[in-house]
Amino acid sequence: MIPALGEFALWIALPIALWGCALAFLGGRWLRGDLILSAERSTYAVFGLLFVASAGLIVAFMGDRFDYWYVYNYSSTNLHPFFKFSGLWAGQRGSLLFWALNLSFFSVLAVWLNRRRNRELMPYANGVLLAVTSFFIIITLFVTPPFEQLGFTPSDGRGLNPQLQNYWMTIHPPTLYLGFTAFTVPFAFAIAALLSGRLDARWIEGTRRWVLTSWFFLTLGIIFGMRWAYEELGWGGYWFWDPVENASLLPWLVATAFVHSIMIQENRGMLKVWNMGLVVLTFLMTIFATFLTRSGLIESVHSFAQNLTIAWIFLGFLGVVGTLSLGLIFWRLPLLHSERQFESLLSREAAFLLNNLVLLGAAFAVTWGTMFPLITEGLIGSRVAVGPPFFNQVNIPIGLVLLALMGIGPVIAWRKASARNLKRNFLLPTALGLAVGTVLYVAGVRHHYAWLTFTIGTFVLTIIVIEFWKGTRARARIEAENHFTAFIHLVRRNRRRWGGYIVHVGVVIMFMGFAGSAFDREARESLIPGESMSIVSAFGHEYTLTYQGLSTHQDPNMWRVIALMSIQRDGVEVGTMTTERQMVVAPPQPITEVGIRSTLFEDLYVILSTLDEQVGMGNEPQHQRATFQVLVNPLVPWIWYGGLIVAAGTLVALWPGAGVPTRIPAPGAGSGTAPGAERRREEASRPERAADPAAPVG
Amino acid sequence: MTVLLLAGLLATVVVAYVLHPVVAGRWAPMEREVDELTEAQHRKRVALLALRDVEYDYHAGKLDDADYRKQKSQLSLEALTALDEEAGEWRTRFDASAHELGEREERARREEVEAEIAALRASIREGTVCTQCATPNPLESRYCGECGSALPGRERARRGT
Ligand code: HEM
Ligand SMILES: [Zn+2]
Repeated sequence: MIPALGEFALWIALPIALWGCALAFLGGRWLRGDLILSAERSTYAVFGLLFVASAGLIVAFMGDRFDYWYVYNYSSTNLHPFFKFSGLWAGQRGSLLFWALNLSFFSVLAVWLNRRRNRELMPYANGVLLAVTSFFIIITLFVTPPFEQLGFTPSDGRGLNPQLQNYWMTIHPPTLYLGFTAFTVPFAFAIAALLSGRLDARWIEGTRRWVLTSWFFLTLGIIFGMRWAYEELGWGGYWFWDPVENASLLPWLVATAFVHSIMIQENRGMLKVWNMGLVVLTFLMTIFATFLTRSGLIESVHSFAQNLTIAWIFLGFLGVVGTLSLGLIFWRLPLLHSERQFESLLSREAAFLLNNLVLLGAAFAVTWGTMFPLITEGLIGSRVAVGPPFFNQVNIPIGLVLLALMGIGPVIAWRKASARNLKRNFLLPTALGLAVGTVLYVAGVRHHYAWLTFTIGTFVLTIIVIEFWKGTRARARIEAENHFTAFIHLVRRNRRRWGGYIVHVGVVIMFMGFAGSAFDREARESLIPGESMSIVSAFGHEYTLTYQGLSTHQDPNMWRVIALMSIQRDGVEVGTMTTERQMVVAPPQPITEVGIRSTLFEDLYVILSTLDEQVGMGNEPQHQRATFQVLVNPLVPWIWYGGLIVAAGTLVALWPGAGVPTRIPAPGAGSGTAPGAERRREEASRPERAADPAAPVG
Repeated sequence: MTVLLLAGLLATVVVAYVLHPVVAGRWAPMEREVDELTEAQHRKRVALLALRDVEYDYHAGKLDDADYRKQKSQLSLEALTALDEEAGEWRTRFDASAHELGEREERARREEVEAEIAALRASIREGTVCTQCATPNPLESRYCGECGSALPGRERARRGT
C-alpha cells in the first residue's frame, strides 16, 4: 500500500513542480507576491511528495516486494536490511529519484532561509530550482520508473551486486549526490541574478556558503569513493581514472576554481563574467557526472545502466541549459564589467587566476580523456580508451603547479607584490623545502615527481605554519593572551582565511600520500600453511607473513574462504590479519576482501589472489595451498588523514560565526542614544557577518 | 480502496496548500529587509575587511612599512569612496521618505547620519579600524568598542614606532 502511495505521490509531484516553476517566474516578472508564495509552497510540497515517494520505494525494498522491477533487480530476501534500505540509490532508477529528493531538500532549505531576504532574487532562483527538479521528476516518471511492476511476483530477487555490499559504497553515492545537488542552488542564484539584473556583489557572497557546502560533500564523496576502491576492488590502488571517478572529479575541479575566484570578485570586483561562467560550468558538470554514472554511456567499474535514451535526454538537457545560460550572460554583459584592472602578474589576483586556469586545464584534460573512447568511436569506429598513464602524465604536473601556487597565493600581496614582500615571506619556506629535498635526495629518492611533491609540499606547509605562527604571535602580543587562546581567537575572527589554510594543509598531506605510490613494493607467492614470505617496505621495514591456514564459512548469501596470517615487523610479532575470498550466491560472483594493516606511514595490503584446486579436498596443508599478493603502500594513510583535515578545514570556513546577527537600524531609528554611537556598534558587528549568516544563505 | 482514499486526501491537501495564496490573496514578502546590506554597504564592508587584513598582515610581519603604507592608503581610499556611496544611498532613502516626516525631524536625522559618517571617515583615516573585527572606532579609542581588542594605532604609539 505504501509503495503504491509513493508512486502516486511521484505523479502529483510533477504538476505541482511545473506549476510552481511557472508561477515563480511569472510572480518575479509581474511582482505578484501571491504567485511567488504559491510557488514557494510548491517547493515545500514537492519535497514532501518526493519524500513520500522515496519512503514508498524503501518500504518496497524492506518488504521484499519483488513484483517491482527495481526491487527484483537490486535486492534479495537474504540481503542485509541496511543494504535493502540503501537500495534506494543502488541502481539507476532509484538513484534518479534520490537525486530529485536531495535537490528538493536543498531547494526547501534555500527557499526557507531566504523567506525574508534576497527577495528580488528568490522568485527566479526558486523557479530555476523547480525547473531542474521537474526535469528529474520527468525522467523518473517516464524514462526510468522506479515503481514499474513486473506483472508477477518472483519468489526472490536477483540480489545486489556484492561489490556494492560495502559500508563505504552505501555512504559514497549519497554524499556525492548531496554535493551534486547542493550546487544547483548557486546555479539558481546566478541565473536569478542574471534574470533580475541584480548583478552586484551580493549574490555571489550569498552563494559562497552553498558553494562550500556542495564542495564539502563533493570532497567527502570522492574520498569515500577512493576508500571504497581501495578496500573493495582489491588492486591495491584507490584511483583508476575510471569514468565514474572522473565524473565526480570534474565538478570538484571547477568548483574549487570557483571557490577561489569568488574571492577576487569580492575583494577586487573583477572576473564577474568568469565567475558566472564557472557557476554554470560547475552545474553542467554535476549533471554531466550524474549522466555519466547513470547512463551507461561509457563502461566503467560501477556504471550499471543500460538504457541509452536517457543519455540523449541528459545531453539535450545539458545543451539547453548551457545555451540558455550563455545567452543570459551575453545579454547581461553590460552589467558584468570589471571594476578594476589587473595591476601586476606578481599579485594575489594573478595567483588566483593562474589557480583557476590550472584547475580548468585539469578539468579539460580529464574530460578529454574520459570522452576519448566515444570520440574515437565516432571518428574511427572503434573505442580507444586512454588509460591511467595518460591521466597521470597530464595531471601530475598540473597538480604540482597547483601545489606551488597554494604556497604562493595566500601570502603574496593583493594588487602588486614588491620584491621585499616576496623575500620576506618566501625565503625561509624555500630554504626549508630545499633542505627536505636535499635530505630526500641523499636518502636515495630519485623519482622526480615524488621528489617535487615532497619538496614543494614542505615549502607550502612551512608557509602555512608560519602564517599561523605569526598571526598567533601578533594576536597574543596585542591582546596579551596566551598563545593557545590567541590561536583560537585568531581562527574564530577570520574563519574563512584560516579554514582555507587548514584545507590547504589537508591537500598537501593528501598529495604527499599520492606521491607515496611511487614507492609501492609488491610480492607474490604461493604458500602452504606454515610457510612464510617477506617483503621490505620503502621505509625499510621488513614484514614477514606466515600463513596459518584457511577456514570456510557460509553466510546467508555467500561462501567465505578466510586465510589467517601472522605478521612480524622487523622480526617482532605484531599480530595476525585475515584476507578472504568470497563466492556470492546471488548474483554468482567471486570477490576479494583484502586484509589491510595500517600504521601512520604505511599499509600492509594482503590479497588472497588464488586458491589451489585442491582446496577443500582435505585438511592436510597441501590441500590449503593459496597464492598471496602482498603490497606495502607507503603514505596511503596520509590520504585519509589529509581528507579528514580538508573536511575539518571546510567546516571551519563554513561554520556560522559566533557573532550575533544584527540589523542595521533604519536611519534614524534608536535616536534616543548618543548620536551615532548605537548605530556604530551595530555597524561594527557587520563585518563579522562575512563569516557568519546562520546557514548557507543564498 | 484505502490507497485511493489516502491518495485522494494527499492530492487534495497538497493542491489546497499550494493554491491557497492565489485564492486567498496572501502575498510573500517582497521588500528588502532592513538588515540586508545594500550594494554600497557591502562594498564598504569589503573595504573595511581588507583594511583589517592589511593591519593584521603588517602586525604579523608579513608587510614591511613601505608596503603597509601603500596598501593602507589605497584601501582607505576605497573605503572612503564606498562610504560616500553609502551616504548617497541614505540620502536618497531620506528624500524618498521625507514627505512622511516632519521637516525638522528629517533634518535632525540627516545630521545624525552625517555626523556618523564623519566619524567613520575619521576613524578610517586615523587607523582606528579594529584589526580583529574591522570595526571603525572613534578617534580616541584605545580598545575596540565592538570586541574589546586593543587597537593597533594605540599599540604602535605606546611602542613609539
Ligand atoms: C587543490 C587545491 C586547493 C584546494 C582544495 C583549495 C581549497 C580552499 C578552500 C576550501 C578555501 C576556503 C575558501 C572559503 O572559505 O571561501 C581556500 C581558501 C584559499 N585558497 Fe585554496 N585551495 C586549493 C588551491 C589553492 C591555490 C593553488 C591557491 C593559490 C592561488 C589557493 C589560495 C587560497 C587562498 C588565498 C585562500 C583564502 C585565504 C583567505 O581567505 O585569506 N588555494 N582554499
Ligand atoms: Zn574589534
